[in-house]
Amino acid sequence: MMKHLGKGLLAGASCVALTVAMGSASSTFANDKLVELSKSNEAWIMPGRNYSSQNYSENKQINTENVKDLRAAWSFSTGLLHGHEGTPLVVDNVIYVHTSFPNNTFALDLDDPGRIIWQHKPKQDPAARSVACCDLVNRGLAYWPGDGDAPPLIVKTQLDGHLVTLNAKTGEEYWKVENGDISVGQTLTQAPYVIKDLAIVGSSGAELGVRGHVTAYNIKTGEQVWRIYATGPDSDVGLMDNFNDANPHFGQKNLGTETWEGDAWKIGGGTNWGWYAYDPETNLFHYGSGNPAPWNETMRPGDNKWTMTIWGRDADTGLARFGYQKTPHDEWDYAGVNVMILSEQTDREGKKRKLLTHPDRNGIVYTLDRENGDLISADKLDDTVNWVKQVDLKTGLPVRDPEFGTRMDHRGKEICPSAMGYHNQGHDSYDPTKELFFMGINHICMDWEPFMLPYRAGQFFVGATLWMYPGPKGDRQNYLGLGQIKAYNSISGEYKWEKMERFSVWGGTMATAGNLVFYGTLDGFIKARNSDTGDLLWKYKLPSGVIGHPMTYEHKGTQYVAIMYGVGGWPGVGLVFDLQDPTAGLGAVGAFKNLQNYTQMGGGLQVFSLDGKNPYSEDVNVGEYEG
Amino acid sequence: MKIKALVTLAASAAILAAGAGMAAAYDGTNCKAPGNCWEPKPGYPDKVAGSKYDPKHDPKELAKQQQALDDQSARNAKRAEHFKKTGNWVYDVSKL
Repeated sequence: MMKHLGKGLLAGASCVALTVAMGSASSTFANDKLVELSKSNEAWIMPGRNYSSQNYSENKQINTENVKDLRAAWSFSTGLLHGHEGTPLVVDNVIYVHTSFPNNTFALDLDDPGRIIWQHKPKQDPAARSVACCDLVNRGLAYWPGDGDAPPLIVKTQLDGHLVTLNAKTGEEYWKVENGDISVGQTLTQAPYVIKDLAIVGSSGAELGVRGHVTAYNIKTGEQVWRIYATGPDSDVGLMDNFNDANPHFGQKNLGTETWEGDAWKIGGGTNWGWYAYDPETNLFHYGSGNPAPWNETMRPGDNKWTMTIWGRDADTGLARFGYQKTPHDEWDYAGVNVMILSEQTDREGKKRKLLTHPDRNGIVYTLDRENGDLISADKLDDTVNWVKQVDLKTGLPVRDPEFGTRMDHRGKEICPSAMGYHNQGHDSYDPTKELFFMGINHICMDWEPFMLPYRAGQFFVGATLWMYPGPKGDRQNYLGLGQIKAYNSISGEYKWEKMERFSVWGGTMATAGNLVFYGTLDGFIKARNSDTGDLLWKYKLPSGVIGHPMTYEHKGTQYVAIMYGVGGWPGVGLVFDLQDPTAGLGAVGAFKNLQNYTQMGGGLQVFSLDGKNPYSEDVNVGEYEG
Repeated sequence: MKIKALVTLAASAAILAAGAGMAAAYDGTNCKAPGNCWEPKPGYPDKVAGSKYDPKHDPKELAKQQQALDDQSARNAKRAEHFKKTGNWVYDVSKL
């Protein structure tokens, strides 16, 4: 197998050389085009809006003064239930909407959104449903602007493991590759990511013992350019010669095997199903690898590198410049896949830094120098975090409180955060003018007891029973108060404001220059708060709970705010699959038993504008049948 | 018997931890090498092989994921090769 892997890597390397030799000019062009497009208020062309992944819009047509006049403009039902994560894309007067399984895609005309320009409805093996750990969700689409050789493309993932490109104008399949096999427990739920002429895609399935991988495909040919893994030999993990040389104490060589016993790394987890960010100047992209498998810590002694790691990897080769493991030897399923938001700020010593900020499942929000991995800050998301006393910035190590660890033959109690984290898959925002991060936070703690189980490829490989409930600041009697939203400065570590929410703020946030922060709630509202004070200024009752994040775009001079509705994801599994046992749904059923009293399933897009202005309000004859 | 002993150990560990701190409890700060700071918890083995916590993994099962990915990559390579030659993406490799 080693021999085979080596060969694969070599083939990947020669592909890289080929790509660079043949297409460097057009690569730069396509890359620049995406950067340029991301600056337009009329476009939203990638998850996070731009490569800094800030979910921030300079548009201030909608602002604190007039947000009370925000009204429904138009809506679109996807025709599917289950969780609707992520957010649509807008480019060239078209809005692209994705759905839950079976991952349909719709292109709608912004001049007449009642008209579906094209639709792509994949035929997938329904067995894919049975290996999805946490509802049949998908986090969105990516866009490649096209060049002389190939048309503009929409890039999508399917739960059954395929990565697909579609002609953005017609919806026809351009290419379709296999990037995960459901027979061994692999699925895809994340949004793919486009850098230069590469489509980058991660992996899901750590709850089924899947060893995480990230792969880049040549977007014009569908050829695999590189693939790296989260665990195993360094050749598989993909490390630069100078990996972590700025922070050798993070660990460097051979740890993908040495921090495991025997071959346990082969089913070691570390899937990445969250979000990416990219810095064109360093050519590094950033993401976090997920939890090690199984959840039963006793079955995998060791630090379990390189799961739970913040990565800076070269986009062309996939090789890592740095890797910082946040949660060595995870004992709580703090899958480290959360959002990466880039910023440029002055640190406490007065040094201008290029940074990345990352609110993790483990209850710590990390800020690193994104060029070399230097650890700048690591603050608790809430003072009720207890598994870790603090993160030592010098050593980079979390100082664990053994009382809140987990182990066989023991029921750990009152552990905060829970496995759902104090932060999950929500894509948050950053206002660069205020230097504030607006974070949708969970407030859930847990009891946890592991059990022994065998590994069988294609079957769940979890090995823990969980009881989850509101954190200390919530209402434990009535199972409410499971969320918070906060404004945070990553240099001072201060929270400018904090507000409690009835349920977890699961979907993320979007900030604008209108002094507003928008977000959806699990109980079915889209809300707007004053981003300086946190004051609630506006809300609207949507058909169903929200697990995606808002986006905004301008069309013909009008600013719109759009959000997906359709509750689900991990917090929705009890409601979605009609479960009652509080430990079912990996423990989420108990924590969210009250969710069903506030929402039911749905699936669609709701768009807002000031006074509800829309193509039909402007001219009632738009979209009419003219026989 | 053993479980009872463990519970007692855990209890005394908690008391110690509340006092002067405890070298024995795993707090993640005692490193064998940079990036390698795991320690067994009090009463748990350094190696699980041969212990009552031995996962007894079947090597055949452990090999399945890599095989599946390698097979997929091989099929993808054929598809891409055909695409480059003809300009048409044919998913079904039996038709290539």
